[in-house]
Amino acid sequence: MRIGLEVHLQLPTRSKLFCSCPTNGDAPNTSVCPTCLGLPGSKPVLNRKALELGIMIAKFLDCRINDRIWFSRKTYFYPDLPKHFQITQYESPVGNDGHYEHEGKRIGIWRVHIEEDPGRIKRVGRSGEEVSLIDYNRSGIPLVEIVTAPDLESPEQARAFIDQLVTELRYLVGINVQDETSVRVDANLSIGEERVEVKNVQGLKNLERALRYEATRQTKVLDAGKRIVRETRRYDEERKITLPAREKEFEEDYGYIGEPDLGEYHIGQWARETVLKETPFARAERMSAELDIPRQTARQVVLTSGSLADLLEKLCKEVPSEKALQWLLGPISSNWGALEKVIDADGGACVIDIVKADASGSITDSEAKIRLQKCAGVKSEGTPACASNPDMISMVNSFLDAHPEVVKDLRNNAKAANSVIGHVMKETKGQYSSKDIVECVKKEISKRV
Amino acid sequence: MTPKVDIEAMRRTNERFEPFCEMISVVPDEDHEFTFSAKDNLCAKGFQARAGSRILEGYRPPFDATPIWKMRAAGGLLLGKTNMDEFGFGTFSTNSGYGIPKNPFDPTRACGGSSGGAACAAALLPGHVALGVSTGGSISCPSSFCGVIGMTPTYGRVSRYGLIDYGNSLDKVGLISRSISDIERFLPVISGSDPKDPTSCCQPRLDLSKVRKGPMAVPKECLEGLTPDVARTFDDAVQTLKEGGTEVDVVSMPSLKYAMPAYYVLATTEASTNLARYCGMRFGVAEREYAQHFNDFFSKTRSESFGDEAKRRILLGTFCRMVGFRDKYYLKALSVRQGITKEYLDVFKDHSMVLSPTMPFIAPKFDEIASMRPLEMYSADFLTIPPNLTGLPHISLPCGYHSGMPIGMQAVAPHWEEGTLIDLGKRWGTTFAYKVPEACQ
Amino acid sequence: MSSLEKETVVRVARVARLRLSEEELAKYGKDLEEILDSFEVLNSAPSSESYDFNPIPVMDVLREDEPFIDIDPEELMKAMDTYEGYVRGPKLS
Repeated sequence: MRIGLEVHLQLPTRSKLFCSCPTNGDAPNTSVCPTCLGLPGSKPVLNRKALELGIMIAKFLDCRINDRIWFSRKTYFYPDLPKHFQITQYESPVGNDGHYEHEGKRIGIWRVHIEEDPGRIKRVGRSGEEVSLIDYNRSGIPLVEIVTAPDLESPEQARAFIDQLVTELRYLVGINVQDETSVRVDANLSIGEERVEVKNVQGLKNLERALRYEATRQTKVLDAGKRIVRETRRYDEERKITLPAREKEFEEDYGYIGEPDLGEYHIGQWARETVLKETPFARAERMSAELDIPRQTARQVVLTSGSLADLLEKLCKEVPSEKALQWLLGPISSNWGALEKVIDADGGACVIDIVKADASGSITDSEAKIRLQKCAGVKSEGTPACASNPDMISMVNSFLDAHPEVVKDLRNNAKAANSVIGHVMKETKGQYSSKDIVECVKKEISKRV
Repeated sequence: MTPKVDIEAMRRTNERFEPFCEMISVVPDEDHEFTFSAKDNLCAKGFQARAGSRILEGYRPPFDATPIWKMRAAGGLLLGKTNMDEFGFGTFSTNSGYGIPKNPFDPTRACGGSSGGAACAAALLPGHVALGVSTGGSISCPSSFCGVIGMTPTYGRVSRYGLIDYGNSLDKVGLISRSISDIERFLPVISGSDPKDPTSCCQPRLDLSKVRKGPMAVPKECLEGLTPDVARTFDDAVQTLKEGGTEVDVVSMPSLKYAMPAYYVLATTEASTNLARYCGMRFGVAEREYAQHFNDFFSKTRSESFGDEAKRRILLGTFCRMVGFRDKYYLKALSVRQGITKEYLDVFKDHSMVLSPTMPFIAPKFDEIASMRPLEMYSADFLTIPPNLTGLPHISLPCGYHSGMPIGMQAVAPHWEEGTLIDLGKRWGTTFAYKVPEACQ
Repeated sequence: MSSLEKETVVRVARVARLRLSEEELAKYGKDLEEILDSFEVLNSAPSSESYDFNPIPVMDVLREDEPFIDIDPEELMKAMDTYEGYVRGPKLS
């Protein structure tokens, strides 16, 4: 099975691609101007930020950046398209021939280009007599289109690929995918010789379903000894099936021509000077290899927080990675809420010292933990035995006084302690570990029995 | 100083010659320093902008085109919008949806096009400067037929913001007037970079004091296909120039023969995309029968409201960019344009300007036009198309009269060298006596 | 030379959303054929691989990403046929 994708994502700009209208228009047609309404006499002017983000994405996907680029008019008639041509890129996208590593597989990226979104249509009226109502707030919203080679091998992989890509781009350029349905994909899938395109699928869940359905359908056709017809289909979200796109009167002929209103852009130098942030998956890959830790663990750390990943890298320079991970995933993670600020401030020096001391055997395990809490600013000075901390004891006792049924339950059911633990943790904002609280509760209960 | 505006006289002139499709009815109280008109494809607040097309009936643009805004800011009073061929599609302004302007020297003859109303107004109204627009010769042609001066600046010199597009890589806003000093005065007013039109943002500063010296070149290809009266009048003009001390060489520019087809391919392909937006929604003619399928809705409006020549050019332009024909016509035309530009630049190495007649014949009578085939009309532009295709600035100056009708000559300068053309106009004005139409006296 | 098939003219008219009668198809078909014939001379013109979209260089003109509303959208909408703020349009299917 071969699957290729055309993924459309909104670029995070404050104004539209070719006009200054804000991108956050709310009520219909409140963020519109002569340009995005296509009024006669209006002209487009390109948003620098949108081009910059396009360059960053193309570069991130390891594309060859085209030094000289221009825009093209793709002409077709539809009520949501104000000029009846979409300004997009045809012969000269921002980037070509890139690739992206996904789960150890190299996915070819054919092109990355920038284009404007049409308006949004609402259908109203009785079925069969629906007219369209159009909101042009979306008209002119900048999109990036990423076209992959047919290198994906299953619907699940296609979905996971986009999921990962979107996560990466969120870190890289701040692409904001509020809900997964805002990703729009055209996918092509072939099992035999001919490929079938499924157009305009909204959201990753639908994409996976559409591709699964399509794979099953094509398999059945082939099993029946028939041939796959090369065609364009659409996904019916209600019925969860793909259908032939309603037979158009005839195929549109987009008749691409260059967009003379914008001229051309020389982006080679700009692209070379653009420095990209390391994205989470790329970082996880690198850390997994460099620090010799499992890929999944590396991802978990990186996706939790950039500074947690920084700390792991620093720790691994001082102690064996096994020891570093043991600390990082254990006490450091559980105290992360308090530790993060400290580490951002001192670059992790305090924590690194403790772990080093522990690794060298110069302090005991519990000493190390106490020092860590001290470092985190946890209120525990001079109270090595948490279970005998007077604050906690009084807190536990007042809770038990107020909830005699818990005391009763506790005699038969150890899980009843959960409510006490929850209460104490909430009151103390997680200063004490659950183990310590349980110990304290046990002690105080035993006093009452 | 506020020039007096005689609305009644304007109305009488318009009844007879129809330069305007829309005029002011009262003179506003505010002071103004001069009066001007604008071709109907330039958007101006307070007026409709219909570009001579029925499909734009009722469109009231909510903004001023930059050149209009600049003229107003300089103290200009906009008197009205001038008649034109629909979207600029024509050579005689006979494809106008709102009145066909009549030649100021003979109302049975055409004004030329597509800025016919602009040239007509410039010839008839006292102290008037008209904003015209040229895509393939639409300033030169009517200026020549109406005996006035037409200045088409370099592509990108004047902002196109607010200009209703015909061919975006060809359209240029310019000036038409009886007086070269008006052109010298107002060209700096309308020129300059405008952040609302990227194509205006790569220009060097306009410097009218910069004047090229050296001989002028007359391409021999431009002396073929002229009527004898035009050929003779142009010869006389060249003779006058020579007597005035200007050297004139005959040169060969063989690539000029490709200009006409390359121009029509580019102009119509661009136009066919620009005109796709006119469909009965949002602006202009409103279809309102929403129960139709969108294809029917769009096709109905377009078939009913576009004129004959608009349909022809939409068909031609759509064809030239369709799969299977795009390389042969569209891409080829783009590359041919480069070749013609290069040939001009070669001639400019040893010549200050390229000179030719503006039109191959005098303003034709309306009944003669009625029997012309489309290709004949397209071919009539063979002298004005080359500088327009290549974005070179050019000026049309009256250079003689035949049977009482004016004949023009056209000088072309390198990109951004408008100063050389205005200098020529000033020098020419000292030796040549312009005639004023009787109707104006 | 380049005899233009009627079905090509029909197709062009449909792509351009122009509804033409039989007579119009014949008329425009004939005109186009004559015009396209005159374009044949382009075949003999020297070609280069490169092309520009403007006759003068128009390069790197960009706008900063600053949201800005110049003309009140409500004013723009007044000229259009709207329903509850949406612009009315024809049927989609």
